[in-house]
Amino acid sequence: MSKIDVVMPQLGESLTEGTIIKWHKKPGEKVKKDETLLEISTDKVDSEIPAPASGVVTKILFPEQKTVEVRTVIAEIETDEDSAVVVLGPAPAAAKQPAKGPAPPPPAPVAAQRPVSAPAPGRFYSPLVLTIAREEGIPMAELEQIPGTGEGGRVSKKDLQSYLEQRKQGAPAAPARSAPPSQPAQPAQPAGRAAPRIESTLKHVDSGELAAKYPPPKYEILQMSNVLLKMSEHMMKSVQTSPHVWGVHECDMTRVDTARRRNAESFERREGFKLTFMPFICDAIVKALKQFPLVNSSIEGDKIILKKMINLGIAVATENGLIVPVIKDADEKNFTGLGRAINDLGTRARTKKLTPAEIEGGTFTITNYGVFGTVIGVPIINQPQVAFLGTGSIEKRAVVINDGIAVRSIGYFTLGFDHRIVDGALGGSFLETVVKLLENFDDNQVV
Amino acid sequence: MATLTRTKSRLSKRRAIPRGSPDGGVTNADLLKLYYFMLETREFEDTINRLYQQGKIVGGAYSGRGNEATAVGSAYALGPEDYIFPLHRDLGAHRVRGQTVENLMLQYLGRATGMARGRDGTGHYADPEKRIYGNISHLGAMVPVAVGVALASVLRNGRSAVMTYIGDGGVNVGEVHEALAMASVMHLPLILIIENNQYAYSTPVSKQHNVERLSDRAIGYGIPGVTIDGTDVLAVHRVSREAVDRARRGGGPSIIETVTMRMRGHAAHDTAWYVPKKLLQRWEKEDPIEKFERVITAKGLLPKEKKKTIMLEIKNAVEDAARKALEEPYPPGEQAAEGVYANP
Amino acid sequence: MSRLPEPITYLEAISDGLREEMRRDESVFVLGEDVGAYGGAFKVTKGFLEEFGERRVIDTVLGEAAIIGAAMGSAIVGMRPVAEMQFADFVTNGFNQLVNNVAKFHYRTNIAVPMVLRLPSGGGIRGGPFHSTNPEAWFFHVPGLKLVAPSTPADAKGLIKAAIRDPDPVLYFEHKYLYRHSKGEVPDGDVVVPIGKAEVKRSGSDIAVVTYGTGVHWALEAAEIMAKDGVQVEVLDLRSLLPLDKQAIIGSVRKTGKVLILHEDTLTGGVGAEVAAIIAQEAFEYLDGPVRRLASLDTPVPYAPTLEDYFLPNTQKVVDALKILGAY
Repeated sequence: MSKIDVVMPQLGESLTEGTIIKWHKKPGEKVKKDETLLEISTDKVDSEIPAPASGVVTKILFPEQKTVEVRTVIAEIETDEDSAVVVLGPAPAAAKQPAKGPAPPPPAPVAAQRPVSAPAPGRFYSPLVLTIAREEGIPMAELEQIPGTGEGGRVSKKDLQSYLEQRKQGAPAAPARSAPPSQPAQPAQPAGRAAPRIESTLKHVDSGELAAKYPPPKYEILQMSNVLLKMSEHMMKSVQTSPHVWGVHECDMTRVDTARRRNAESFERREGFKLTFMPFICDAIVKALKQFPLVNSSIEGDKIILKKMINLGIAVATENGLIVPVIKDADEKNFTGLGRAINDLGTRARTKKLTPAEIEGGTFTITNYGVFGTVIGVPIINQPQVAFLGTGSIEKRAVVINDGIAVRSIGYFTLGFDHRIVDGALGGSFLETVVKLLENFDDNQVV
Repeated sequence: MATLTRTKSRLSKRRAIPRGSPDGGVTNADLLKLYYFMLETREFEDTINRLYQQGKIVGGAYSGRGNEATAVGSAYALGPEDYIFPLHRDLGAHRVRGQTVENLMLQYLGRATGMARGRDGTGHYADPEKRIYGNISHLGAMVPVAVGVALASVLRNGRSAVMTYIGDGGVNVGEVHEALAMASVMHLPLILIIENNQYAYSTPVSKQHNVERLSDRAIGYGIPGVTIDGTDVLAVHRVSREAVDRARRGGGPSIIETVTMRMRGHAAHDTAWYVPKKLLQRWEKEDPIEKFERVITAKGLLPKEKKKTIMLEIKNAVEDAARKALEEPYPPGEQAAEGVYANP
Repeated sequence: MSRLPEPITYLEAISDGLREEMRRDESVFVLGEDVGAYGGAFKVTKGFLEEFGERRVIDTVLGEAAIIGAAMGSAIVGMRPVAEMQFADFVTNGFNQLVNNVAKFHYRTNIAVPMVLRLPSGGGIRGGPFHSTNPEAWFFHVPGLKLVAPSTPADAKGLIKAAIRDPDPVLYFEHKYLYRHSKGEVPDGDVVVPIGKAEVKRSGSDIAVVTYGTGVHWALEAAEIMAKDGVQVEVLDLRSLLPLDKQAIIGSVRKTGKVLILHEDTLTGGVGAEVAAIIAQEAFEYLDGPVRRLASLDTPVPYAPTLEDYFLPNTQKVVDALKILGAY
């Protein structure tokens, strides 16, 4: 029999505290290893924390709503298993840099040793690795993110098993460094989705000053979740930081639409998910960003920080609020790779299975509010980036082509940009480049 | 070098060969049996040949025409406790040892109910009850096995003789020599009959051997060897009896060279154009069946009616067996995978 | 089951097993060159002539075809001969008897050939090209024969018993180097090792070595070395080559995902090639690395010590191969 301390996890570098949202177990209750023990909130995202071992919960040291510093002991479990202090959550070392600072001993040693390399294009997966991945329900996009220590950087059985270990013990989702976009973004699916109802996930407030001031039945008071709090904070900050300018361009998406429809069936059969406009748009954006590096930068004081990598944030609406998972090194991905990444990140964002690394480090963000029917939107920049692209709904419209009237699929793209460094000329050129890439898409291409 | 102590066996008086008797102790009934078996051999082989020409037999068809006396006469010298390892021109020997015409037909035709269940054809079967162990295509390979059987008999204090055959070509194979070396030094009850029918496929005996008498090789093994007229069934029988008796009483192996002629080609597909016509003509006069017919007719044992009856009986038996066998199925293909091991 | 107080050698184990069988069953007898008065070229049958007499311990002429053929002849009429080839290399002189007579007999006639052919095989003894052969691959390809190759004294004794009791012809590959270099405990009593069953000699989860004969010893030594680096090597001793224990092979591959096939016989077309093919076909989805083989060079066995040492596998070569495979 031994005692295990449960500590507040550090679900992302540079995080210093977390808030206990809900305890799932009471003192004296039994808990199984990996069963959800509590929910916490850090930055803007709630995470479910699984118990590190099986046993009996002997002590709960902090109540709900209490914010504590990371690595504080918050509960104790008495277990039969032979273990010392066990850390929860993925080791910080799973992020880009090797674990720095006093990180708790990571449960799995492997990933800590190397920086995560971007999945090499055409990485080899052995039959065994594919078999395990299939059995554990790991899609290819996720597999591609796993660091490999095998020959040629391949993911070996050991690498995959370590990853699975970490995943079990780690947080399913991690807080993002960057805030969500200004409008509820949608999952990257073609039209028709209603926005998730956030109110239903918020807690009621029945007592206190406000309850007296705004009594039922005319009024209802909800506690803003951490996600909403962070979002409101972020939006306010963004507006106060960046002088926003917006430019709207019209984009003829007919060719892209043709290509999309032509390849829809084979793509879905091959990849297991639908082919949307998003991969096309992201592909064009990546290409354009390469031509206009200033749009892919940030500002510190009087310096411009040019970023050599392109980390595309894709806004996703979840039932708990907005989340912006980031496709790292999007410029190294081909069309299919982008498609997979978009689908995979979107899925895992909604199922709370993102890692901290996947919500950090974006250099440019895209939001697709067209799914809700918005034709033209005006997004608020996702700090510390300097530009934000919003895409509106794509509709059939009558347009003039060669002095005749034609019916084309038209969408309006809005680029919001920070006029501290991006002026109208730059913003306009960048967006026009994106538009032209999409308008001239070769619809005979097989994707 | 340690040798096996010789076993002394007592021969029953009835079986003792009176010295100098020209017929090896055969009765009139025996004489007719000898005739029957030789005639039947010819009829059977002619039928096989016909079936082959009709495409009803696959693989090959071998004729022992001219060898009937050797096969029948030698086998007739054996008793129920003895073993025989015939070669492909010794069909009559199988019958002498009690194999049925029906079984032989089924075997030659590769049927499911044949003794080898279609796994092998011609005389390549084993019938442990009748102590018949057929040869394999590698001539000479069966002789060491025959030696092993002889060895087992001695180790178990038995009195079995083991008779085996080889041709004028096959006798050159190394395995035959090794087997004789072992059999002779261990005094095993083996009788080796060298059927010198003048040809090994297209190779005449003059190109196989540097000697006139193939039985001379017995000197090299320190064992008795004789060369006799292979077309004289009684001579073959008499000499075989001597050898068998010697073997049974622990006198060790013997070599008997029977001189005949291979009257047909090596197999049904071979016309034997390389055999000088004069040679064939000379040997035709030595036809073993015709010669023996004259002997028993002279003894009054074969009146015309009797001859007719015998021939009809043989014809019917062979025809019947052929007809029945042709109606039998081949084994089902799936069975090919079975039976590789006794204990899979 | 009690154990003998001291370990015995592989040679003693074979001798004991053979002796026990001859005591148990009168139809079992021994034949070969110099097996009687001399006690056998390697002394496996020392004392047998004195105990069992010349009817059961037969010094034959020099002639492998005669020995094998005679063994078969005695077997088909109900005896249980254990024939010896003085060196496995000489079996070629009786090749025809083995593959055309012995192997095909039951298939053609449904009559069993319950004989054993003992083949002192293998190199590492400076015997040169004609006294060091491992001939199992030639006969591995012959349906109708069974092949066993023990690596330890316990297996040697258990398998000679199994071979003698099996109604089918069994080729028993006894390794000359192991005669005196392999010592081990042998269970007391009548313990038979079943033909067709491999044994995990050392359990591990990182890499498997599938092997037999001297390979087992190299693999076990290599496994000790690899364990120091935290790599757990599984050593699967095939023990029987025909029939192969497919289930055990696939089991070890499933467990580890990486497999090295090892044997002293030369590489090309050796038994290991068949094992590799089986793994590729039936354990494909469990592979985390290529199926690798380590074996002797494709040459005749050379005589000079430097040449033979280069020709043969050894513990260090096994370690090197395991490291390469492990890093994949």
